[in-house]
Amino acid sequence: MNKTRQLTTFYIGEDLYGIDVSWVQEVTGNLPIIPVPLSPPFVRGLINLRGQIATAIGLRQLFGLKSEMKHSSEIHGEMSVVCKFDGNLVSLLVDSIGDVMEVSEDSFEASPKTVPTSVRRFLAGVYKTDAELLSLVEISRVSAEISNVGSSLESKAV
Amino acid sequence: MSFSDQEIEEFKAEAVELLDVAEKSLLALDLGSSFKQTYDAVFRSFHNLKGAAGMMEMHRLQAHTHELESVLMPFKDLDDMPKNYISYFLNGIDASRSILDGSEVEFNYQGYAEQPASPVGVVQMSEEQKLVPETASDEPLIIPQAEPVAPLGASKSALAEFVAESEEIIVRVSKNLHVLEKGAASRDVIDEIYRDIHSLKGTSFLFGFQQMGDIGHAMESAMEPVRDGTHSASRLLIDGLYKAIEALELDLECTKMEISNDQLKALAPTLIKVLGAAAKTLPPVSSEVKLEAKLEAKPVTDVKLVADAKLDHGLAENLVVAKVASLVAQVEVVPHEPEHHAAPTAASAPASPTAAAPSASGEAKDGDLGGSIRVPVALLDNLMTLMGEMVLVRNQVLQFSNNSEDLEFLNLSQRLNVVTTEIQGEMMKTRMQPIGNIMTKFHRVVRDLGQELKKNITFTLDGAETELDKSLLEAIKDPLTHIIRNSCDHGIETPEVRRKSGKSDGGKILVRSFHEGGQVVIEIADDGKGLNREALIAKAVERGMMTAAQASQLSEKEVFNLIFAPGFSTAQKITNVSGRGVGMDVVRTNIEKIGGTVDLTSQYGVGTTIRLKIPLTLAIVPALIVHSGESDGRFAIPQVKLVELVRVDQGTEQKIERLQGSPVFRLRGEILPLVDLNTVLGLKGVPLEEKGIFNIAVLNADNYYFGLIVDEIQDTADIVVKPLSRLLKSLHVYSGATILGDGSVALILDVLGLAKVAQIRNESTQSGASAAMSSIGQSASAAQSDRQDFLLVRVGSVTKHALVLGYVNRLEEFRQTQIDVTGNHRVVRYRDAILPIVSANQQLGLPLKSYQPDDMVSVVVVERGGHLYGIEVDEILDTLSTAANLDRSLNQRSCIVGNIATENELIVAVDPFEMISVAFGQNVQQKSLNDNLLAAHQGQSTGRSAVKEILLVEDTAFFRRIVKEVLEKAGYKVTAAVDGLEAAEILQKGGQEFSLILTDIEMPRMNGFELAKAVRGNSKYKSTPILALSSRFDQKYTTEAASVGIDHYLEKMKPEILLEAVSSLIQKRSAA
Repeated sequence: MNKTRQLTTFYIGEDLYGIDVSWVQEVTGNLPIIPVPLSPPFVRGLINLRGQIATAIGLRQLFGLKSEMKHSSEIHGEMSVVCKFDGNLVSLLVDSIGDVMEVSEDSFEASPKTVPTSVRRFLAGVYKTDAELLSLVEISRVSAEISNVGSSLESKAV
Repeated sequence: MSFSDQEIEEFKAEAVELLDVAEKSLLALDLGSSFKQTYDAVFRSFHNLKGAAGMMEMHRLQAHTHELESVLMPFKDLDDMPKNYISYFLNGIDASRSILDGSEVEFNYQGYAEQPASPVGVVQMSEEQKLVPETASDEPLIIPQAEPVAPLGASKSALAEFVAESEEIIVRVSKNLHVLEKGAASRDVIDEIYRDIHSLKGTSFLFGFQQMGDIGHAMESAMEPVRDGTHSASRLLIDGLYKAIEALELDLECTKMEISNDQLKALAPTLIKVLGAAAKTLPPVSSEVKLEAKLEAKPVTDVKLVADAKLDHGLAENLVVAKVASLVAQVEVVPHEPEHHAAPTAASAPASPTAAAPSASGEAKDGDLGGSIRVPVALLDNLMTLMGEMVLVRNQVLQFSNNSEDLEFLNLSQRLNVVTTEIQGEMMKTRMQPIGNIMTKFHRVVRDLGQELKKNITFTLDGAETELDKSLLEAIKDPLTHIIRNSCDHGIETPEVRRKSGKSDGGKILVRSFHEGGQVVIEIADDGKGLNREALIAKAVERGMMTAAQASQLSEKEVFNLIFAPGFSTAQKITNVSGRGVGMDVVRTNIEKIGGTVDLTSQYGVGTTIRLKIPLTLAIVPALIVHSGESDGRFAIPQVKLVELVRVDQGTEQKIERLQGSPVFRLRGEILPLVDLNTVLGLKGVPLEEKGIFNIAVLNADNYYFGLIVDEIQDTADIVVKPLSRLLKSLHVYSGATILGDGSVALILDVLGLAKVAQIRNESTQSGASAAMSSIGQSASAAQSDRQDFLLVRVGSVTKHALVLGYVNRLEEFRQTQIDVTGNHRVVRYRDAILPIVSANQQLGLPLKSYQPDDMVSVVVVERGGHLYGIEVDEILDTLSTAANLDRSLNQRSCIVGNIATENELIVAVDPFEMISVAFGQNVQQKSLNDNLLAAHQGQSTGRSAVKEILLVEDTAFFRRIVKEVLEKAGYKVTAAVDGLEAAEILQKGGQEFSLILTDIEMPRMNGFELAKAVRGNSKYKSTPILALSSRFDQKYTTEAASVGIDHYLEKMKPEILLEAVSSLIQKRSAA
């Protein structure tokens, strides 16, 4: 029997990414983002999510991807994948949302070494689906990176 | 049997309460309370805890409390308990708490010193034995209670809660008994009855309701066989239980109405006997009985233990019914009792037992003490969050309604507003708890520390009923503990020391809490040794936190604040109580974290008072909404940090100035350091210099003020604080975020953090200009620029007198015999020269000091015109660095400059140069001339059409302020520069027509001579008169001054002379 898992998928540029559905609280679009001065570039700001405040993380910036790429997001605006980790609401900003896909563990392998480290360090691996290659984002690594940046800021300031 | 989480929680809560009662009683005993009362309370607590632990199958706790109980038992007949036993039992209580928390505890049961008069061997019970709580639990029941035990530590509200809870239990038990009676009771129902009765018993004992507890205990015992499944419930038992429940209910009613319940007291033993008898006759469970029997049926002998009543139960039953009925009748005739209480109970009591349930539940609601229910904190928190949301929606609606013309809608939104505000207020109250809840434990802390440190300390608590948000209460618990421990260890002296300093042996710690201005103030005062300013300074210098010179400039308050610095401790040796230097900084951090402040006052030898100011609640704070930067980002500033708002129009006299590159603003003569929000946050915006109008929010960070420049001040609003992720918190400039009325997000500024970040930025741009200062914190460096140093001296007056420290050349002491008299003057041979001595007292018209032949004469040596002069004073006291203004309104007398009002006292500032002048007859004539001139001049200047503008160049803030003030009063317009360079820049920029340049000589960057040269080099200012004003007055200087084109050289002195010179120079120029 093949073990399968469900992933919420989204696009950043031409690339398809996925995170485990269990992380995802909801997907929303086009909420106003209030920037936070002095914050690292990947913190795009704060979002009012029906009275809850979510920190908006630009995955493109976090992954160190260029933002000059023309994509539909420039027309339609970015989408928010809202997750909750470390007790905080985090909105991951992506270019557009894909389907929820059921992937088989059989089709999984590690990301090739040619993928830039800046992105690869957040990826668990890649699923080879029939249509496309789907990179699995490891939320725990995203969360770890965010808190690492937090601690380094803290030590700098003191 | 396994227990649900809830059951375990309930048990723990009860156990904690029991332990608290025991602890409180022991402490009361220690303070000399009646042994009888306290002993019983402690014993009951241990005993009940043991029983409860046994039921919950917590064997370790059961065994532990059993041991404590065994040790305690023999004291009953002794009527006294040695102190070491009190400590032993207190330790035992602590151990119980640890066991309760699940910790492994090693407790030495032989840990107490000698045995009391009748020694008791500590019984080592086996687990099996301990499982049967009844072996010991009959004990207290057969002790006749000679006197009713007063409810121990039961406040009215706690009592109300007890009544309400007991009523709930009674309702539930009645209901379950009904089920049991019908034979439909499951295992769960029986367990519930048993548990309910048990907790009823526990709380009754807890509150000192002896007979209720006894009845409860009898009920519990009677139910035991049924619960164990060995016997099934009989009609007799159920009847007995009903009767007992009714009696309890009546008792509760009596308690509520505060009427004596003697009848019930008489009833109790009978009831107990009936129940005992009923238990004895329970039919054993046979296989047909549908109650699930336990496989290992217990022997009937267990039951016998309980059932030793010998009364004929039929007779007894009648008796009970009669007694209850008669009791009901009694209740009915109590005059002040409203009828609705008595009527239903009277109806239900004799006939139908089941009717008791509805009557009890009905009555509970409108009982005199009011009802209360228990609600999980999580539910309250949720409600609180939702409340916050509702406030936001309300704000949105209000904002929307402002643009609407629909009258009905406006009305509705107004009502929504009113109702929401009210709900908000009520909601807040649900989270409020009296401070006493955490304070009472300090009795224990103080007592323990007092013993450990061999000090005699009394602890008084005032205002225990002051209410505070629960979460805040938790947050201040540790800081308070710390402060109190500190007071015990460092503050209060040992009795020997106290006796020596003329105090009573016993030290006092007084904690007062009260509301003040929307905040809760908690004051912790001790009458101990107080803080020693010198010791603190010495320590700070020793630790390299500052130089001795810096330290000498600190105000008293700043010195005391040193103890809040990390790693600072003045304790001579580190004890296990305190002295490691971690502590007071943690106290401050924790208090500030919740938006509070810490303040300390102390008098050496007399005591120390620490004042905490805590906001009432955290959840909703009033804030100022501001906007800054190019985007529409908005920021909230908590109102508590806001001092005032200042609007500055650069076009007028007001302007932003630069002090070593940092922007500052003069607010009512005080220098206010400025922080530009755009700069700190790296926002795009108009540069400061190009802004016409500024909005400055004056903020209070840590008792030091700074002005925050924002682009726009928008509104005030009550905001709901939402926490930020750690990532954003670590930026140190935001304390949270909030959602505004229009649904957009605003960041809440962390005022302290902002000040720190701004400071760091400044320092990095100025290459460590003030690196040395950073360790004392911002307050010193910020205020430094505005400070003036004085030498404090004592003369023949109670008021201290002061000289500007900069004037002082040296301080000397001479023997009286060294002073000679030549001509009319007193002189001293001093360094191969003659030092003329001027008596300050003589010049000020004060009584002269009488000297003994061997006395030393204190002399302040000043230099004037290249000569040294000595000013004789009675005593040289200290130096003083102050930012306080010099009040010149009282300077009419000769030689006096004005008054300085510091925090604690008024000081007279004197002018040593004038003393010398007067004493040696110089300038005296000129002075009287000047007085006339001044009068003439003032009349002249007011009549003048064009206002003359003067450029004032002076590096000392103090003088700059005084001179500016003097000139402005005389009708001149003054532009001030902090040094020659700035003055040159102002002149370079042009735009201003100066009639005179008034400059100091000694200045950083560019001195007065260099400035004069530069001015004379500029064709435009070739003929502008330059007046030099300096404390250096000798030939060399005046010559150089003349050579660089300075028109006149004046000594810093009386304003009249200054004005005269200014006026004559300006006139001379306009004439030319």
